[in-house]
Amino acid sequence: MQCPEALRTQAYFDGEVDAVSAAAIELHLESCAQCRELLQDLQRTRTVLRRDLTDFRASPALRARIDGALDQESSAPTRRRPPAGRTRWRTPAFWMGAMSGMGASAVAAALVVVFLTPLLSHPLVDDLVSAHMRSLMPTHLIDVASTDKHTVKPWFAGHADVSPVVADFSEQGYRLVGGRVDYLDHQRAAVVVYQHGAHLINVFSWAANGSYMPTSTTRDGYHLLFWRTGDLEHCAVSDTGWDELQGLVRLLKNLSSHDQPN
Amino acid sequence: MPHLDAAYRFARWLARSPGDADDAVQEAFLRAYRSFDALRGSDAKAWLLTIVRNCSSTAFRGEQRRAFVPLPEDEAQVDGAAMIATTPDPETAAIRRDEERTLDRLMTSLSAEHREVLVLREIEDMDYREIATVTNLPIGTVMSRLARARAALKASWLQEIEAKPHAVP
Repeated sequence: MQCPEALRTQAYFDGEVDAVSAAAIELHLESCAQCRELLQDLQRTRTVLRRDLTDFRASPALRARIDGALDQESSAPTRRRPPAGRTRWRTPAFWMGAMSGMGASAVAAALVVVFLTPLLSHPLVDDLVSAHMRSLMPTHLIDVASTDKHTVKPWFAGHADVSPVVADFSEQGYRLVGGRVDYLDHQRAAVVVYQHGAHLINVFSWAANGSYMPTSTTRDGYHLLFWRTGDLEHCAVSDTGWDELQGLVRLLKNLSSHDQPN
Repeated sequence: MPHLDAAYRFARWLARSPGDADDAVQEAFLRAYRSFDALRGSDAKAWLLTIVRNCSSTAFRGEQRRAFVPLPEDEAQVDGAAMIATTPDPETAAIRRDEERTLDRLMTSLSAEHREVLVLREIEDMDYREIATVTNLPIGTVMSRLARARAALKASWLQEIEAKPHAVP
């Protein structure tokens, strides 16, 4: 029989849990020989794999072959894009950008500017609305799908810069659906997703950076409700009614004013 | 070419032969090149490996699931020569080479599903989220599959030791 905490122990080993969960797992390890052994096995496996598994490298011939194929591609008459846009792809600068995530957010920001921004609006509001709209597409709703806050909350530790309040308020009509990470104004935000009736509510949390926080507003049919707790700023976005949105925010505020139970 | 080695390593552990790995990587780079617009999210490496995986899809079909990665004879010789040159103790180097070959063989005996999550986690050092992206699996499945893959590798390692008691490291 495997210890039911085995997966959490593995997540701990892989650095996928937050400090609070890590402390809980360390406590568990003190009393569970099976998980202690698992931890040793995991470490041993990793050491051996990283040390002894053959480190395959692409041969110079393959490198040259791909280079040639890409050259051919960029000069082919059937290309679907002008070459200027293509060559950029192969410059280190582009990849640096892509790797840092800025490439994608820059593209997103550009789209927001072109399609969504009415004059003189707060850029954060647009970011939030477009993030909310993106989230309504089935493939982008959630990175971690769970109704269990003990699954959702630790997930954020490895993926977001902030640790948001996560709770299931099913009894009050707000069902926890999951979580994900989004970029807002070049900053990573933790997003907790709730379902209220047929409506989805995205609750964004990010580290306050001293810049002016927009006031609650309505944009494109979506309500945005902003508030602050400690050094975090939050915004709940939904097309549900104001009262319903405020109901959830009240529950979250209550929870964060106490120690969050774990 | 960014991430070429990572792409090749991943392809190599999914492919039936080094030639197949070469083809998959070349195809992946071409597809990546053509669909630059599809670059979303923050991680170019995960994105590229996703394409490599799609180009290596034979590894995930029917009886080829337990696709065999031929032992890297050539590479082993090259690596071995390099290691002997830098290691004062040739005997240690020989043992190390032996372990490499054993481990490669054990890895190839795993299913492609197990092999890929192990390579992504332990060799490419990707987090669960990135592995989920590359393998197109929910995070929960990544976690349980990773646990099973690690257990499977350990089990075949133990089996190996039992069969060859003198080879215990």
